[in-house]
Parts: sequence; structure tokens; C-alpha cells
Amino acid sequence: MKTSPQKTRLRTATLVAVLFSLTAPPARAQELPPFRWGTDPTGGAPFNYQDAAGKPTGFEYELAGYLAAKLGRTPVMVAGDWSKLPEQLNKPAGVEKGVDVILNGYELRADLAAKYGVSRAYYAYRVALIVRTDQTVIRDWADLDGQRVGVLGGTVANDYLVRHHPGAKVQTNEDVANVVQLVADKRLAATVQDNPAATHFLKEFPTLKLAGEPVKAGYYVIYFRRADVELGRQLDAAIAAGLRDGTFRRIYAKYGLWNADQDELVGLLDQPWPPADLAAPAEAGNVWRRLLPQLFDAAGVTLMLAFGSFPLAMALGLLVAVGRVYGPRPLRVPLGVYVEVIRGTPLLLQLYAIFYMLPVFAERLIPGAAGYFTPFACGILGLALNYSAYEAENYRAGLLAVPRGQLEAALALGMSPGTAIRRIVVPQAVRLVIPPVTNDFIALFKDTSVCSVILITELTRKYNELYNFNRDLIVELVFLTAGLYLCMSYPLALLAGFLERRYATTGGRS
Amino acid sequence: MIRVTDLVKSHGTTPILRGVGLTVNVGEVTVLVGPSGGGKSTLLRCINGLETIDAGTVTAFGHTLHGTRGQPHPTAALLGLRRAVGMVFQQFHLFPHMSALGNVMAGQVHALGVPKAQAEATARELLARVGLADKANHTPAQLSGGQQQRVAIARTLAVSPRAILFDEPTSALDPVMAREVLAVIRDLAARGQTMVVVTHDMDLAREATVAHKMVAGRIVSSGRPSDVLAE
Repeated sequence: MKTSPQKTRLRTATLVAVLFSLTAPPARAQELPPFRWGTDPTGGAPFNYQDAAGKPTGFEYELAGYLAAKLGRTPVMVAGDWSKLPEQLNKPAGVEKGVDVILNGYELRADLAAKYGVSRAYYAYRVALIVRTDQTVIRDWADLDGQRVGVLGGTVANDYLVRHHPGAKVQTNEDVANVVQLVADKRLAATVQDNPAATHFLKEFPTLKLAGEPVKAGYYVIYFRRADVELGRQLDAAIAAGLRDGTFRRIYAKYGLWNADQDELVGLLDQPWPPADLAAPAEAGNVWRRLLPQLFDAAGVTLMLAFGSFPLAMALGLLVAVGRVYGPRPLRVPLGVYVEVIRGTPLLLQLYAIFYMLPVFAERLIPGAAGYFTPFACGILGLALNYSAYEAENYRAGLLAVPRGQLEAALALGMSPGTAIRRIVVPQAVRLVIPPVTNDFIALFKDTSVCSVILITELTRKYNELYNFNRDLIVELVFLTAGLYLCMSYPLALLAGFLERRYATTGGRS
Repeated sequence: MIRVTDLVKSHGTTPILRGVGLTVNVGEVTVLVGPSGGGKSTLLRCINGLETIDAGTVTAFGHTLHGTRGQPHPTAALLGLRRAVGMVFQQFHLFPHMSALGNVMAGQVHALGVPKAQAEATARELLARVGLADKANHTPAQLSGGQQQRVAIARTLAVSPRAILFDEPTSALDPVMAREVLAVIRDLAARGQTMVVVTHDMDLAREATVAHKMVAGRIVSSGRPSDVLAE
């Protein structure tokens, strides 16, 4: 016998009512599976964060608690990387890190709504433009042309900025807090944030203010598996109840997030959902015309990073190697330490240190110095330093492989030790280590992707960004991006082979 | 003139030279003979400052190296000495990343600061003198052992040393190639080039002005080659 949806809902409501009337609800909750909600806790306040006492809190944390209670289930927070949260729904809920829903400031978007179940809106948000109080250049959205503006990559704020302010130099980052800090440190001109984050950061940074009016941007919704129709109904019912009975208002007000926009959500409850005018995904031909140039530009950045940093790494590495092999002991020891420290710490951490830490010290020494630590300069510096340690070891091996007699013959001709090393030993050492050095260049080529953590939009970062808005194109994007890397690195391999043959020193008896 | 006095040298605890004295006069060809391990090559390397010395002195054309108990010699003293005394090695040690011409130019350009054009002219002249004018653009790998050693001699001549030390110059060569090299050395002797030659080649030794026989780190006999070799 078929059960009508109304009947089911009625029965659930009865169940919930019974549940709440019971004196020991936890016993009941144990019988239903936990309510596993996916979020990225690093996204921070006011969404979901830890208070001073280390206790989890945030308006979404409270919201999840409310929803779970309404569903009669125990809330379990499942942490994940924000940009990859929807993918969590592609796996069953029962697996490790599996989720029932994702609830983390995810906007109502056509592409996601086409793929996943989508709940009623729980928050109507705006995007806000944040600048420093001590600047006068950016007064409104219209002043963004040519300015460096930071955003959380792959968000609607990101998309909004690219579409409506193409003149702005958009720099994306994975971490909101980083971006805001960079604006406060005068290293970015502005940042665009969702109003909940903006509200929080304006409280935290007295040197920041809003420029212009926040712009209505969309709705936060909960995504779930399409098959979980019943869960969707329960969520919608819980959201509707929360909006109507003032529970949401109370939660939002606590975090300073309540505003008139939220009143409209109640009106929307009677409208079809998701709204029919939700933009349909752009057709494929158009999409590629928009995506390809972006990918190629990003590939250009990757090329510039690689070709800008590796020559520096080689030069620095060679100096370090010569110092270690021929230098006096007081020089050899610190150079050895340099190599081990750089080799023994992750590139990611080094980039963080150079981009986030170094400018702070520099600014203290020389006011205004922080301005020179642009993401690109820091990327080049970080890659060059990191690879200099590896190149130093390559060149050291090369120097040690040149027969001792070469140096003696040069000295016997009356060359000074420095000249003999520079003119006779080093050229041979460099030729000997062409294969490992080229190998490292190809490795560096791919390591440029790590620079995405310091707001550089290189190829991998761009892939991630584009993927966020074109999740159906994952196969095409992955192969295209990989293909671009290959197209750039394979010629390097060919060049290496050529150089090896060209400079082969099969010198016989030397 | 080269004068070695009371030269003592050891590798770790193994004594190599146990008080060697020697004088080389300008225009003379001196040969060092004796069994392997007697210290001949080490003596030569000490004269050129390629080895540290424990005690004694080496004086060559006004430049003196003192015993330093194994510490490195001062760079200035070494530079002066090496510009006066050149050296040719058993294994040639040509620079493999340069052509024959580049090898002969290297010392002139990088040690003496001779302009390239002038260095090249000198280099071509010297390559012609050792019979390799047509090999100027060959790399060492493309030359036979005998040709390589002749290039090495030209390379040393190019910096105009007042004396040349030859460390077993033909030992790595077969008899035919050795003959080519010996011809070059004889030609130098005929021109009055001051030379010290470590050799096992009895024919060459017999043609020398003076011969010293070294055994176990000491010179055991000195004099006319015919007398020394006859012992």
C-alpha cells in the first residue's frame, strides 16, 4: 500500500511530538542515525568557530543543533575543505567523513541545485566591500578598477567581483581570515565578503570599514542528496518553523546578523522553491569561451613563476655549493645548516613565512617595506629559496665529481683558486648535473601550484576556482589542466635531453 | 734556479720525503729516477705547491715556500711560484669542456690576463710547434693520448714558465705516442728550457744534464745520468 506524503509527514510530526513529550529523549535519539552535517570549521566566525573557552559555537553551529533537534537526531559536525563540501554528498553518509547535509554558507546556485537536493533558504545574505578606515581611494564599488581585491576563492563574492567589476585585480585565497588581515596590513586594497563574515571582521578589526552599501547577493541553503527526499522535507519544515517562530531571529540577532532581508525569507516560504528564475547553467560552448582564456592566463602565471624562480634557485644553489665544497669551515657550517633547514621544512610553510610573517618584521624595520612583499614576489622568492637547497646539493655532487686533477692543472697554470673554480671546475660540474637539475626544474614547475596559498592564481588554483562553478565539467577541466602542465613540462624534458647531448663531457682521461 | 732544502713530507703517519735537498740550474734538464713509491712525484708536486710540506723550504726563482707542518701555503706565495714553474701531468688533465685551442689559451687568459686575440695567436703558434695545428678545434675527447699530452705541454708553455715540471709524461702512453711526446720534450731541451722530469724512460734519462735517484723518500745518488743509471 502506498503511503501519501502528507500521511508520512503527519506520522513524522507525531513521532517528533511523542519524542519531545518523552522524559528521556536521548534514548530515542540513539535509535535514529546521527545528523551528520558537513562544514569547514576553518571558515571561522561567525559561521562555525570556537569561542574563547574552545567550545564550538557560531550561528550555523546553533542552526545545526536546532535542525538536529527538530529531526530528533544527534548533531555530528563533519569537518571538510569548504570548496569540496558538495562532493561529500557523492559518497554514502555511512563512510568515514560521510555527511547527511552540507551547511556552511553555501549559496543557492543553479549548478549545485541541479545536482543536489536543496533546502529552503535559511539566510539572505549580501556581499560587502571592506576597506581600511584610513584610505580614501575606494569609497564605493565603482572605485574598484585596478585595485587589488581579495576574496575567498570559488564563492559568490568571487564570482560577483569577476562579473561586475572586471577591472579589479581579484586575488583569491582559501582562508577568509588571511584576506582580511592582508587588507588591514595595507597589502590588499579591499576585500569582498559575505555580510556575516563582514560583520564579524569589522568588529574584530577597528581599522576596517565598509565602502558603499552591501549588495544583495543570494541565499544560504542546505544541500543534501537528491534521493533523500524525506530528509529535505524535514529540513524545509524545520527551517519554516524556525523562521516563523522567531528561533532564527534569536540565533541571528545573537551574532549581529539579523536584518530586514531575513523577513523576506518568510514570504518566500509560500513560493515555489528553488525559484524558477534560478539561472540555468550556461550552455557548453559559451562556457569554454569563458573558461579557456582564464586557464591559459593562469598557465602563463605558472610559467612566469617557474622561469622567474628557477634561475635564481640555480644561482643561489651554485653559490651555496661552492661555499660548502671550497669555503672555509666557518662558512661551510652555516651553509650546511641552510641546506638542511630549507630541505627539511615544507615549501608550503616557507611560503606562509615569507608572505605572512616576513612583511610584518620588515614593516617594523622599514615602514612601507611590506608593500614590496607582493604575492608574486613572495612566490618567486619562496620557490627560489626552497629549490636553492636542492640545487646546492646537485651542484655539490657535481663539484665533487670533477677530478681533482682539473683544479690542480688550473692552479699549476697560475690561476688563483677562485678563478680555477669559476673557469675550470664549475663549468664541468654544471654540465655533469644537467639531468638532476632539469629534473628539479620539472618538479618545481608543478610545485608552483603551492603558491596558490599566497593569493597567486596559477594553473591549479584557477582549475579549482573554475571547478567550483562548473562542477559538471570536472572531467574536461582535470584533463585540460593536466594537459596544460604536460604541454609545458614535456618541452623542458626535451630541452634537458638536448642540453645533455650538447654538453656531454665524455672527456675520457681528464 | 730551483732549490729544495731538507724537505720533509708525510701523508698522515707515513713519511714520503725524509729530508730531500736538490738544486736545479737554469737551462738544465734534471731527471728524477728510481723505483715507484720513492717520492719522485711527491717531490715534484711539492715544488709546485700542490702539496703542503711539513718542514724544509722550496725556493724557485725568488719565490719561497716554507715548511708549514701540513698547513696550506699562503695563496700569494703559491701564485708567484706557479707563474714561474709550470707542470705537465701523467694524466694530462686537459680541460674537457674546452677545445685544444681553448686549453692552450686558458692559462694566458685566466691567469695572466692576456687579451683573447693575442692569447689565441700564441696558442696557435704553440699548437703548431707540438705538431697539432690542425687539431685546434678538437675537444680532448677527440684526441689520442699522445696528442692530449702534447696539447698539455703547449698549454703549459703558453704561460711562459721559467721551469717546467714533468710528472711521468709518457707513462700513460703506448710507445708510439710516447715517442711523439718525447720528441717535443727533446725539442724543448734543445731550446734551453729548464725542466725537471720524473721518468722511467731510460733513453730520456740518459739525455739529461743531471740525474737524481730517489729511494724511500731520499736522494740516494746524484750526478751524470750515465753514472747514476749505471748503479
